Amino acid sequence: MGKISTLLDEVAEADIKNVEVNYRGIFQKTLARKICKTLVYAAKEEERTGFSYGRYSDAPERNGVPCKYFAVVAEMSEEDLEAEAGAKIEPNDVNVSIVVDDTMVKGVEPWGFSGIRPINEKVKLGGTLLVVSERSPLELLKNVAKKDFPYKIAVVPGKHSFSGLWVYKDDFTDARVLGALARIEPDIVGLEALRKVVPEKLGAEKIDALNDGYKSVIIKSIAPGEGIDWPYSIPTLPKWHEFKEGIVVKSVARGGRNEDYKRFTTRTMRPVIRFDTCIKCDLCWYACPDECFDPTPDGLFDVNYNYCVGCGRCAEVCPVPNTIVMVDELKFENNDSPYHEYKKDKEAYIEWADQKMGEKRVNYPFVTGTGLIEENVKKNDGEKG
Amino acid sequence: MTVVEGKLVESQKEELLTGCEAVAHAVMLADVDVISAYPIRPYTEVMDAVSKLIADGKFFAEYIIADGEHSQFEIVKHASAVGARVFVGSSGTGWMYAMEAIAVTASDRLPVVALVGNRALDDPGAFGVEHNDALTVRDLGWLLVWASTAQESLDTTLIAYRVAEDPKVMFPTALAMDGGFLTHSQHMVRIPSQSLVRKFLPAYNLGDRRLHPDNPISIAPQVNEDWVMEIRMQNAEATKRVPAVIDKAYREFEDVFGRELGNPWLEEYMMEDAELAIVGMGTLAMPAKAAVKRLRSRGTKVGLVRPKWFRPFPTELMQKVLSRVSAIGVVDRDFSYGSPYYGGVLFNEIRSTLYSSKNHPTIANFIAGLGGREISIADMIKMIQLTYEAEEEGKDGQVKWMGVRE
Repeated sequence: MGKISTLLDEVAEADIKNVEVNYRGIFQKTLARKICKTLVYAAKEEERTGFSYGRYSDAPERNGVPCKYFAVVAEMSEEDLEAEAGAKIEPNDVNVSIVVDDTMVKGVEPWGFSGIRPINEKVKLGGTLLVVSERSPLELLKNVAKKDFPYKIAVVPGKHSFSGLWVYKDDFTDARVLGALARIEPDIVGLEALRKVVPEKLGAEKIDALNDGYKSVIIKSIAPGEGIDWPYSIPTLPKWHEFKEGIVVKSVARGGRNEDYKRFTTRTMRPVIRFDTCIKCDLCWYACPDECFDPTPDGLFDVNYNYCVGCGRCAEVCPVPNTIVMVDELKFENNDSPYHEYKKDKEAYIEWADQKMGEKRVNYPFVTGTGLIEENVKKNDGEKG
Repeated sequence: MTVVEGKLVESQKEELLTGCEAVAHAVMLADVDVISAYPIRPYTEVMDAVSKLIADGKFFAEYIIADGEHSQFEIVKHASAVGARVFVGSSGTGWMYAMEAIAVTASDRLPVVALVGNRALDDPGAFGVEHNDALTVRDLGWLLVWASTAQESLDTTLIAYRVAEDPKVMFPTALAMDGGFLTHSQHMVRIPSQSLVRKFLPAYNLGDRRLHPDNPISIAPQVNEDWVMEIRMQNAEATKRVPAVIDKAYREFEDVFGRELGNPWLEEYMMEDAELAIVGMGTLAMPAKAAVKRLRSRGTKVGLVRPKWFRPFPTELMQKVLSRVSAIGVVDRDFSYGSPYYGGVLFNEIRSTLYSSKNHPTIANFIAGLGGREISIADMIKMIQLTYEAEEEGKDGQVKWMGVRE
């Protein structure tokens, strides 16, 4: 018997190519699966073997929760590929990590015991973090952990997509991402093979999007040490004899919150609050499914961004227009209490909040308590007046 | 279908399917009449896949959503008794909740085919694979088979109907598949044509046991000590007829579909001239193969034995294959608290099997991969190394838990 460590590299790792898709639960599960499956079909077109799988411990049926899907391709027999990579929870590292919602670059916490992980955690030496985003690679880098080896950040222009989710209109993100991938790593999948399989697997109308993704992808080399010091630690789980018998774990004390599982990486948008126009009706506090609102001594409600998953319920129920507005998460640098900022300097806070809310706001067409569309209410009011 | 060298060859349709989707396709091809469903991960994946085939208009079957696993298994038991080909399944505690119905289905000799997506028995809450759920029926008359690839899942589902419904058999059959690693992973699967499946799988026929007003019978009345020994004996004798039926089903499968399936009972991987065998069921065969291959490249004579059918257990074949080696490492993805040597279920079956053989290899046992924890290639190499060490030190019957934080 040889030493174990010397045996582990015997099958050249480079022979196996791994791609992951970071996606948000429910909204993007179909999109992620489509990307990975089409990739495997294209690899087959090039006479290589492959398979795809989702990370089984994820919660893809929960809105917004960060999840992963994988595609594995190689030039080896199916049996050999399965032996090497077929029964894994996730790959050890990946050639390309695709991110279909750019707010995930802030970190991903799929699950209570995993901690908040850097989005580029699995990207290997020379690999690529490929993000669907309207931002530049350098803007995204402001949120991404530094690595001690060079890799690339690539951007395929676009918004986070709901492609494949029930009634949402397909924006062809799947084809654009695959086109970009063919440009970045032609060894994983070639454009020609994709041109053959995309019409059958994704739809003939997606060919232009495929070509567009290939042409429009922006690629930036990232040097070792570029990026941020990762602020979150990975939890250390106890040894088998270090915890109570009978599956008893410490719980959250009354009135407290779970320090070990904050869940804010589930968020694509956060509610920004104009405390000055708040009428203290308490509907946000009442409606928040995650109990993120805290009453303050002056009757306002602070929001705890560490626990807010960005569901938008508060903005939906708030009866005062433009008082709670959902805003792109990447516009923010921290989860600090907005109420404290407001108390420190009211004018500065209001100006800041208004600037963050911007011109393009998410509006809910329903008026609280009526179930009616806003325009119709206005029309009715006008008739009355 | 095309004709090559005078033989009918199946036109190969290939699709990227999860293990569960592969089973759903087999259920459709087997033209199952009644399906009862109740969700529990990982079984849910097959329930979804079957319902999608029905919703898409590709498959016509009675699809009943039960109000829990107990009624789910009762529904198919009764449907089977009136002559319907049925499909059912569950995972982990869902399977346990149905246990009363599961037990009587075997006693009543109704050829229900079930998928067990192997899952840890809650508590604690865990979705990942453990083999304990399926293994609970090992003493009840259920036939029990483990698949390790998506293709094998599809093939074995078709074989399961063929075997279970054979007039000489008539036992329910459970196909066990590792939750996550197999149920949820998409691989290229060859899908046979409906006409070939029809050729392989005859119509379900209960004969004069079919419950029908024109055939007045009563199934399973109260009998007490007056009958129980005879009934149990009858079923025990029937289990002995199963192996020949399984052997024949595999050979005919190969004839009809033109694909080699190998030994129905167990897969031998690099076992020629092996001195040490690693033994394990399901997808743990994957890292085991990679480990064996690496060690073989260094000249170490090691191989893998992957049992497929666990019930009936292939005693003589297992004895023949394993008495050739001098050391065996049995990897159990299960536990059996307080059992002989405090070891796993498969380990004790293998030890018992080898008791009467002339050669007594050293047997080491590893409990690994519980609750879906990954068994890596490095873990496998380590287990092989520990098995060698156990042999050198003459320590037979050692049980070691692998991959535990300690």
